[in-house]
Amino acid sequence: MRRWLTGLLLAIALLSAVWYAEWALREKPAAVSVGSVLGGGDTAGYARVLGPREFSFPADHGPHPDYRQEWWYYTGNLTGEDGRHFGFQLTFFRFALTPKPRPGDSAWSTNQIYMAHFALTDVAARRFYHAERFSRNALGLAGAQAMPFRVWLEDWSVTGDPNATWPLQLRAVDGDLVLDLRLTNLKPPLLQGERGYSRKGQSEGNASYYYSLTRMPAEGTLKIADETLQVSGAAWMDREWSTSVLEEGQAGWDWFALQLADGRDLMFYRLRRRDGSLDPHSSGVIVAADGTSRSLPSDAIGFEVLDHWRSPATGTRYPARWRVTIPSEQLRLEIAPRLAEQELDGSLRYWEGTVKVSGQSAQQAITGHGYVELVGYGDQR
Amino acid sequence: MKAILWRALIRYQLHHRWQLALSILGVALGVAVVVAVDLANDGARRAYTDAAHTITGRTTHQLIGGPQGLDENLYRHLRVELAMRASAPVVEAYGRLPEHATTRVRMLGVDPFAEAPFRDYTRAGGGNNILPRLVGTADSVIITAATAQRLGIRVNDSVTLETGGQQRRLTLIGLLELEDPLIEQALDDVFIVDVATAQDVLGRPGYLSRIDLIIDDDTALLQRLRAWLPAGASLLPAQSRILNLTQMTRAFELNLQALSLLALVVGMFLIYNAMTFSVVQRRGVFGSLRALGVTRRELFMMIIAEALAIGAAGIVLGLVLGVGLAQGLLQIVARTINDLYYAVVAPDFSLSALPLLKAGALGIAATVLAALVPAREAISTPPRTVLLRSFSETRLRSRLPWLAAIGVSSAVLGVAVSTWPSTSLTLSYTGIFLFICGYALLLPAATVLLMRVLKRLAAWFGLVGRMAARGVAISLSRTATAIAALTVAVAVAVGVGIMIDSFRGSVDAWLGNILPADVYVSPAALSGGDLKPEVVRQLSVLPGVLEASSGKHVFIESERGITDLFILQPVPRSLAAIRLKQGTPAQTWPAFLDGGAAIVSESYAFRHGVTLGDVIELRSERGPQTFPVAGIYYDYGSDQGVVTISRRTYARYWDDTGVGSMGLYLAPDVEREAFMADLRESFESAQSLQIRSNRKIHEAALEIFDRTFTITEVLRLLAILVAFIGILSALAAMQLERARELAVLRCLGLTPRQLWGLVIAECGLTGLAAGLFAIPLGLALGYALIEIIHPRAFGWTMNLTVDGGLLLQALMLAIVAALLAGLYPAWRVARALPAAVLREE
Repeated sequence: MRRWLTGLLLAIALLSAVWYAEWALREKPAAVSVGSVLGGGDTAGYARVLGPREFSFPADHGPHPDYRQEWWYYTGNLTGEDGRHFGFQLTFFRFALTPKPRPGDSAWSTNQIYMAHFALTDVAARRFYHAERFSRNALGLAGAQAMPFRVWLEDWSVTGDPNATWPLQLRAVDGDLVLDLRLTNLKPPLLQGERGYSRKGQSEGNASYYYSLTRMPAEGTLKIADETLQVSGAAWMDREWSTSVLEEGQAGWDWFALQLADGRDLMFYRLRRRDGSLDPHSSGVIVAADGTSRSLPSDAIGFEVLDHWRSPATGTRYPARWRVTIPSEQLRLEIAPRLAEQELDGSLRYWEGTVKVSGQSAQQAITGHGYVELVGYGDQR
Repeated sequence: MKAILWRALIRYQLHHRWQLALSILGVALGVAVVVAVDLANDGARRAYTDAAHTITGRTTHQLIGGPQGLDENLYRHLRVELAMRASAPVVEAYGRLPEHATTRVRMLGVDPFAEAPFRDYTRAGGGNNILPRLVGTADSVIITAATAQRLGIRVNDSVTLETGGQQRRLTLIGLLELEDPLIEQALDDVFIVDVATAQDVLGRPGYLSRIDLIIDDDTALLQRLRAWLPAGASLLPAQSRILNLTQMTRAFELNLQALSLLALVVGMFLIYNAMTFSVVQRRGVFGSLRALGVTRRELFMMIIAEALAIGAAGIVLGLVLGVGLAQGLLQIVARTINDLYYAVVAPDFSLSALPLLKAGALGIAATVLAALVPAREAISTPPRTVLLRSFSETRLRSRLPWLAAIGVSSAVLGVAVSTWPSTSLTLSYTGIFLFICGYALLLPAATVLLMRVLKRLAAWFGLVGRMAARGVAISLSRTATAIAALTVAVAVAVGVGIMIDSFRGSVDAWLGNILPADVYVSPAALSGGDLKPEVVRQLSVLPGVLEASSGKHVFIESERGITDLFILQPVPRSLAAIRLKQGTPAQTWPAFLDGGAAIVSESYAFRHGVTLGDVIELRSERGPQTFPVAGIYYDYGSDQGVVTISRRTYARYWDDTGVGSMGLYLAPDVEREAFMADLRESFESAQSLQIRSNRKIHEAALEIFDRTFTITEVLRLLAILVAFIGILSALAAMQLERARELAVLRCLGLTPRQLWGLVIAECGLTGLAAGLFAIPLGLALGYALIEIIHPRAFGWTMNLTVDGGLLLQALMLAIVAALLAGLYPAWRVARALPAAVLREE
């Protein structure tokens, strides 16, 4: 009788442990929800994005601290000397914690903080590395400036030539992973939306100032563990600043930045509503090899999700393969992640990774590289 | 057969329930004191180390600077250029909350973004979300929910924090909801702020207290960092820094332990007494048993088993009592450590197994040891003689010379061991214990001699007096242990009393000397820090001030530990106030003032084995520097020792110009109280100050002194309590056992009154004997504490002062205790009907 009881108790304990472990692993909530960072909140006192403005370079490469958030988003595809394919992402986010500068005599006083993400996809090895850092815009720990251009967080940095901005030196180190790239520029800054004024929602001010550098040839070295490789390829930079972007009812977005082999660059984003529908403020743009661009309204792009992938780490389910048709450009493309596991699980949780593009352009076969960002999936809030 | 034997033993014990109860209580009290002291020591130490470990977190090394702290740019360099990711800046200071009078708080200034790898509180409920808000909001603070509740403040309330006499209003922007009670407790009264806020509060932009690092076994990195370090900075292992602090209290803890062991020794006498007594009482039973064929071995084992059973009951009770007692002692111990060594924040009582096991084992060992002699006694006598009542008395008599000889040798050995040239406190205490035991063994012989003398004196009280004196001597086998227990307990009371008196006298005299200035000014109590430069400037030129001295304490830390460095800018009178133990004023002072020499306190010299002419090395802002020792001075301010250098010497190697306190020498015609009142008023807005006359400081210091000896007093009283229980049980048992003898006396014509007088007189004489014997032992103990223990534990020398009143008190204490113990038996004996008693036999 005793023994039987002990057995039963043991079995119950074991079962509850297993159940608990499963429950704990099922779906971890992200530390910060995208909505809480980029959505409404208290926007009082911050500068708002209310209409088109004149962009001026190089000044606008630098920070705009009156707006609540801003980012410098470098992504790119690289090929090693041995033919291996790599994807990289180095992003600097700036957040203003308060609308006004923080008073005080201390050199640590600031209301601006920086977050940076560094990710590298080693396609052949099926490895994805990512790291996150935070620091404050003080004491030289992190910051951004227009002339000479520099954005940095500790020893992750993108630094421009002291006199001419170009070329840029991009450098990031995490443990024994070192990426060191020299970026040049082929096309003028692409002002997104209405001359750089990009509306993201119905309410006034839910918009950002947005420009991109869609094709920057890159070359340099990549060190993984003991291995040092010469790499070359092309990078893309997205620059956005705003005070609020997402609004009630919007869940997140899918963003596509594709560089086609014929020299054309295609960018489009799809703002998703919580009810699953597409927000009409979604849009896109196509840039010709010579730098001229045509905008693509959301209804100009046919879009179909072909596959899904569930992250084993967080339990979040992401779309994983797409068919995109743009009749006006005679493009029919299939976009597929080069590696499924390119989920960044830090303070913000999102999927951002290198993709392979294949399809037809005016009945001719065409290929390309790209980066896709999937934000706001599996978010409970 | 066996079962019958056991029944006989149990029957006996049940028939003597009160006697059983008292012996159990004796053991229990001894064990209780030991376990309580151990638990209290443990608890206070753990309260500190837990807090320290939580605050240190996973830090392996700390980069520290000098009195000026570290330059914040070192952090940027470390983090950005050297890519040392596992690094976190800390600005730390103690302060107080003027609105919450006595609360001392610790301000912990951190960079929320660098914290996560280091400290677990960052994972608290909401921690991730609140901490970064510290960065953006000026003068914001986060505390634990428990602290907020205790202080009665809520989120968005503001609270004034005062450090270095400067106040700043902070806004509570969030609460840490902690699940781990250990972390919760460690963060009690900790004000977590951003580095920027911390610098603003201290008024020290650019300042970091330290940089925490995590370097796991990376010797290459360590070497690289050490090579890079600027001269004023030092890289120390974090654990050793905590250890350095906790080691300061080692001598203090050992002294408490020794005192608690004394209580156990007294308890040991009790069980010895009880067992001897029960053996003596059962001579007849044992004799019959032996005659019936019970072997010696069987009998021996049974007596030991009986003792163990009593011991076990006593230990269980003692552990329970001890745990209760420990909760009271913990607060006293923690307060003492707070006064003397470092800040212990609100220790929570928690039970740990080790002290319980230790005390239990000690209790068992003491019981077995104490029972060995009576058990041997019971079996070593032939069955026939055991039946003779007078046998044990006769035998004890015949053994008196032997006992005395062993006693003398043990005492001599004790003296030799305790004065053996070594610095081991344990050795000294072992010697003292040996001496006490030796002394106790001498007591039976001494009692016989004393009673011979007393018999003459007692003759004045007639027949009853003579009978009483003889009675004490004749029933020696029963009185001797009672007398010994009482003697030892009273002697401890006397010895500790002498030690405290002498210590207090020396401190009092020292305080009378060392405060030559009329008025002392420093930042408000608990708020620490320096006087503001403009305050210093104005103070020295105030009308009515003839001259002013200044001082500052800084703590210099290196691999070898923490040095309390006092920087003195003296006036001639401040030098005259320092009493030199080694060195002459003519040679010492010029070297101290201009020659870059240091003077060190007596306890520093003791701890570091420094004498005149040696050099000491201190880590300065220009790297390690050596200072010749030009003098050793008397100082009772810190048992860790102090190194004093002149302001001029300090300025040579440190860039710190801060002044921690000032001594103002007033013109003779200035009225002090009025002067201080003026001072308070005119500096009110500049800085919150503590302005005290030398007399006030003197009184306050003595108050702290008295407070730190509370724990000693408590232990002393406990030892006396144990002895009192012992004497009660011994005398009561003895008198009750004599019921038949006394009944015979009644029959022979003694009145109940006379009988009552006889019992009381016997008890009184026993007490008198113990009191008289306790005085020389107490003096010896006092001498040993002052001349051996104190120099070895703290490096202090002091003058032995003996107060006659204290000795008289001890004598009275012994007599009163014995008389009280005699009251119940005397009452019973006097009331008993002789016929009934005699029939019972």
